[in-house]
Amino acid sequence: MNSIIDDIRAAARQLLADGKVDVVIGYEKGSLPLKSTPCFLRSPQDADKLIWDETCENNLATYAATTAGKKAIIAKGCDSRALMVLLQENQLVRDDLYIIGVSCPGVIDKNKIEAETGEIIEATITDGKVSVKGILCDKEYNFTDVKDAYCQTCRYPNPVLVDLKIGGTVEAPQSDFSDVLALENNSAEERKAYFKEQMSKCIRCYACRNACPMCYCQECFVDCNAPKWLTGGVDTAENLLFQTGRALHLAGRCVECGACSRACPQGVDIRALSRKVNKDVKEMYNHESGISEDIKPALNVYSADDPEEFLVKE
Amino acid sequence: MKISKEKFGQSFDALTAEYQVVAPVSEAGAVNFKAAKSFSEVKQDYLNSKLPPKSLLFPQHEKLLSYVKDGKDITVKNELKVGKTVLFGIRPCDAKAMLLLDKVFKNDQYRDPYYFDRRDNTVIVGLACNKIAPTCFCSSMGISPACSEGSDLLLIDLGDSYNVEVITEKGKDLLAGLGELAELSAEEQAIVDTVKSAQTTSKVDVSTITAKLDKMFDNSYWDTLHEKCLGCNACSFSCPTCHCFDISEEVTKNEGSRVRTWDACMAPLFTLHGSGHNPRDKKKTRWRQRMMHKFNYFVHNNGDIACVGCGRCIKGCPVNMDIRQAIDGVNKAEVVVD
Amino acid sequence: MGESQVNTETKAYEPKIAAFLCNWCSYAGADLAGVGRFQYPATIRTIRVPCSGRINPLYILKAMANGADGVLVSGCHPGDCHYMSGNYVARRKFALIDSLLKHVGLEEGRVNFSWVSAAEGVRFAEVVKGVTERVAALGPNTGVFKVDGGGTDE
Repeated sequence: MNSIIDDIRAAARQLLADGKVDVVIGYEKGSLPLKSTPCFLRSPQDADKLIWDETCENNLATYAATTAGKKAIIAKGCDSRALMVLLQENQLVRDDLYIIGVSCPGVIDKNKIEAETGEIIEATITDGKVSVKGILCDKEYNFTDVKDAYCQTCRYPNPVLVDLKIGGTVEAPQSDFSDVLALENNSAEERKAYFKEQMSKCIRCYACRNACPMCYCQECFVDCNAPKWLTGGVDTAENLLFQTGRALHLAGRCVECGACSRACPQGVDIRALSRKVNKDVKEMYNHESGISEDIKPALNVYSADDPEEFLVKE
Repeated sequence: MKISKEKFGQSFDALTAEYQVVAPVSEAGAVNFKAAKSFSEVKQDYLNSKLPPKSLLFPQHEKLLSYVKDGKDITVKNELKVGKTVLFGIRPCDAKAMLLLDKVFKNDQYRDPYYFDRRDNTVIVGLACNKIAPTCFCSSMGISPACSEGSDLLLIDLGDSYNVEVITEKGKDLLAGLGELAELSAEEQAIVDTVKSAQTTSKVDVSTITAKLDKMFDNSYWDTLHEKCLGCNACSFSCPTCHCFDISEEVTKNEGSRVRTWDACMAPLFTLHGSGHNPRDKKKTRWRQRMMHKFNYFVHNNGDIACVGCGRCIKGCPVNMDIRQAIDGVNKAEVVVD
Repeated sequence: MGESQVNTETKAYEPKIAAFLCNWCSYAGADLAGVGRFQYPATIRTIRVPCSGRINPLYILKAMANGADGVLVSGCHPGDCHYMSGNYVARRKFALIDSLLKHVGLEEGRVNFSWVSAAEGVRFAEVVKGVTERVAALGPNTGVFKVDGGGTDE
């Protein structure tokens, strides 16, 4: 990791010094242990603020369209896929972007750790080991055990679109959709109860929507008054309407970066919905979003023999 | 004076027959204030609830009134339901926050019955903090981990008993029914003294922030503060002092209701006018508004900073916007003096 | 909102079904059923859309949130869309909607999809009969999307 961060800083410094970009969007150390925070650097001497480690959990592609000027963005595998989808959907101009791609071994699920140790007072990550001093107890973890759930099933840890690639490649973990299958194998009643419990946690803060690079509508359906899709009631029924509505709006577009689940202050299992939709898109249409410029988004194309299992029998 | 947790638990259970008792309960992986039927449901040893207890007095989605139209006749029904409530286990920061909300919902011209009818029928049993989190900074905000402001009774956890202190008449009346009190041992007194003198370790300096902000409306500090903010409502919804709301009508044909829902100044459409004009359509102006409201406007209007240092916004923010850093930033910002 | 609808003659529960029908095929098919007096249960409330491709997943979710016990979405047969490709795009959307709704625990049979052409008056009646039977068997909608009248906390 050490030489990677030096290379990232050097690249950022050079780009800013040469005036090739107006701003570098990257990660700097956060104010909490095991937390990084997005940063917007505009002068070469600030490049030393940049960090790169397992806490770089935000998807910086969210900022691409709303940041003025030519920008360099540090992009993990999933982030670069997000940028690709945004380019395909004409939300970004390729010339405005300078993508600094870095292969990613995954990010930490802080909530998983704090469920055991209580709020973290201090923590360090060295050589794949995470040492934590928490309010309730101290503990040491293997990084692989506290990796974010999305990262555990990540198929694209290496950036797919770059202007500059830093560091080596990471082998994609063996992944299938066993997490979705596990839920599918439950009865409808069990799933209904599970999602009702998850939806009882949602407070409709829309952190998930705002953290997602693909949610960029000027007027989101939640804010629409005519027609009024949502009343603002936070009962489980409306929360589920919001979450499934959003999941369906992301069909064929979600890159499974996990920013939504990690953004949720309440720990709602948003992943259960997005992974199901992505499994369907992969199995029905053999499509994964943002992996190649030649592959059009799944809901923009069709074929004569698309499955139609959903039809009535009559 | 102390009461054993065993006796307290029995009284707690008895109280649920007469009152709605709301206490910190562990549910779906998080601790939040919910109605409890028994002391055994109460989460011991918790730091603070995920969401603040303000929703007890100021629900996230509340029907204010409903109406039915029948020809020319319209019947209006007040939907306010008030019952006697005991709020147990609230931390000093959240109790102080209630006092701040009081100033919003009552002034010389208006008293909000939805908030205050509930408030007047609620007894607040505060619980001082034995543990302090790295994100707590209440000591810098004029209170402390054992502050009694806003509580009717203040308890301190002594292990197998609670130290009880009466703060108001309401608290005294409730205490009368709780059980026999006993003297503290020397060790127990020592615990009380330690808790009462505890301070949060994270510090900020708000001594001059209001005056500084008076001069900062057009300051360049706001140009960069907002950049990483996502514009969601996570901070406002987890804040015990945030109180902005929207009122809307839910109507179908001949019946409908007027509802009040939480809103947040961080949302892009918060200030959208019917005309289409939006005075705060930029994140920059919204973050300026957040800081100005909490640390300047609220002070001028109500005499207090609208932040109690609970740290929920810091923990909940997806991109680690830290209000402590924002306070430092304001303190350090260069002001051009005319 | 949501009280049981009871047929005054047979005293049987009659569900309310929101039927989104594409103008050129399914709506015309329904019209043909009417003209030809092919009887079908009066449980559907038709909403005419220009094309099945117009269907926003939110229509289906909101219909149920508003109290519909079931939903029928019907368009032209693939290959016959008046706008050439509207129903091809819709086919992908419908597959994903159907799958996700089942996943979150919505009972199978509440949301139904069909391709009915303008010439299929008899078939339209059959489709509605089938949908009504399935939705009625599930009982009134008290399920995952039904807003519990007012949506107050707790």
